[in-house]
Amino acid sequence: MFENNLIGLPIVPVIHCRFWDEECVIYNQLTGDAHLIDGMGAEVFKILSEKAATRIQLLQTINSNFEWEMDFDAEGFLDNLILEYQKLGLVDVTENTSA
Amino acid sequence: MKLDTLSKKTVVRALNSDGLRFKIGGFNVCLSSSVPAVAEHLLCLYGAFDVLDNTAFIDFYTALEPPSKLRRFFRPQVNFSFDGYFPFKPLPYKQASAMFEWGLNWCIASHSHQYLIIHASVVERNGQAFIFPGTPGSGKSTLCAALVSRGWRLLSDEMTLLSVNDGCVYPVPRPISLKNRSIDVIQDFAPDAVIGEVFKNTAKGSIGHVRPSDDSVALGEIPAQPAKLIFPKYERDSNTVLTPLSKSRALLKAAENCFNYNILGLKGFTSLSNLIDASDCYEFKYSHLEEAVALFTDLAH
Repeated sequence: MFENNLIGLPIVPVIHCRFWDEECVIYNQLTGDAHLIDGMGAEVFKILSEKAATRIQLLQTINSNFEWEMDFDAEGFLDNLILEYQKLGLVDVTENTSA
Repeated sequence: MKLDTLSKKTVVRALNSDGLRFKIGGFNVCLSSSVPAVAEHLLCLYGAFDVLDNTAFIDFYTALEPPSKLRRFFRPQVNFSFDGYFPFKPLPYKQASAMFEWGLNWCIASHSHQYLIIHASVVERNGQAFIFPGTPGSGKSTLCAALVSRGWRLLSDEMTLLSVNDGCVYPVPRPISLKNRSIDVIQDFAPDAVIGEVFKNTAKGSIGHVRPSDDSVALGEIPAQPAKLIFPKYERDSNTVLTPLSKSRALLKAAENCFNYNILGLKGFTSLSNLIDASDCYEFKYSHLEEAVALFTDLAH
C-alpha cells in the first residue's frame, strides 16, 4: 500500500502540529478536532510537518529512531496509521509524480 | 474612589437609580437593583473596588429585579438581566446577590473572546501565574482561597482570561465562590477571611463568597505570565501528590475546561499551545491545605 504515493499534510494549511517530547497534538482547523498522537505517529507528523515524504522515506526515518520486536510488522503498522490519518483528513496521499 | 468609602445609603440610592458603576479588573460594570441585600453584598465583598462616574464606558449593564410585582409577595423571585436580556430563569429572591455573581460570570464568558477563557482559578506569586483548571468539586476554589489568604495575588477564582494577543493572564479579581463544606474549611484555615452571606439551597448547594484581598483588587489591571498549569483534585484523606503531566495531555485536558475554545478556532488552539509551552504541567491530588500551600509556595520560588 502507498508504494507509489507521496504522503503529506493537506495543501490547504488546515492541519497544525505542536510537538512536545515524544508526543504531539494535531489540530484540524476544518473540524476543530485536536488529536493526541504519540510514538510512531508523532514521528510521522514530525517528518511531514517539514515536507511530504514517500512511504520508503518515512520507514527509513522511523526505523532509524525506533527499535522493534523481531516479529513487529512496522510497514503494515505505518500503512494503517496513514490510512487512519487520511480518513481523519490529517494527511493527503497523492501520486508520486517524481518516482 | 473605593466602594467602601460610600455609605450604605449612597450605594442603595445608586443601585435604585441609574445603577452603581464599578471596575472589576479590565471590565466596567453597571448594576441596578431594588433588592436591599445586594447593597450589603457589594459593600461586604466589593469594598476595595473603584467606583466609576457616569461618563465611564460600561462593558456590562446588569440588573437584578423581581420578575413581577406579584412575585414580591408570593414565593418572591429575582431575575438577572444584561442589556435588557434575561439569560436565566428567575431564582429565589434571597439568592439575588449569588445570581449577580453567576450572571457576571456569564457576561464575561459570553462576550470576552479577546481571551481564551479557561474554567480555572488563577493566582500569582513572584510574577508567576499558577492556573488551576477544574470541574466543580475539584477543589480549585478552596485551593485558590487558601493561597490568597496566605498572600498570593488573586487573578480569578472562576475564569482564567488568557489573552489571545500577548499570551498573558488578565485579572478579574472577584469574590471567590465556595461551596458547602469548603466554606467551613476556609473559615478554619483563614479566620481573617471575609466571607459574605451564605446562600443556602441553591442549585449548587450552599454558596459563600470570600472577599478578594485589597492588593489583588488594586493590581486588577496588571497581567501575569503563565508559569504552571495544575489540575487539582481534592480527595478526602489523600496525601499531597504533585505529578508531572505531559504537555500534550495537559493541552487536551485544558481544552476540555475552556468556555470558548471552539469559538476561537485556530486562535484558541494556538493560545492554548503557547500556554502549554510556557507552563510546567501537573496533576495534583490533595486533602491538606497547609501542605498544598507550602508546596506551591516552594514551587513559586
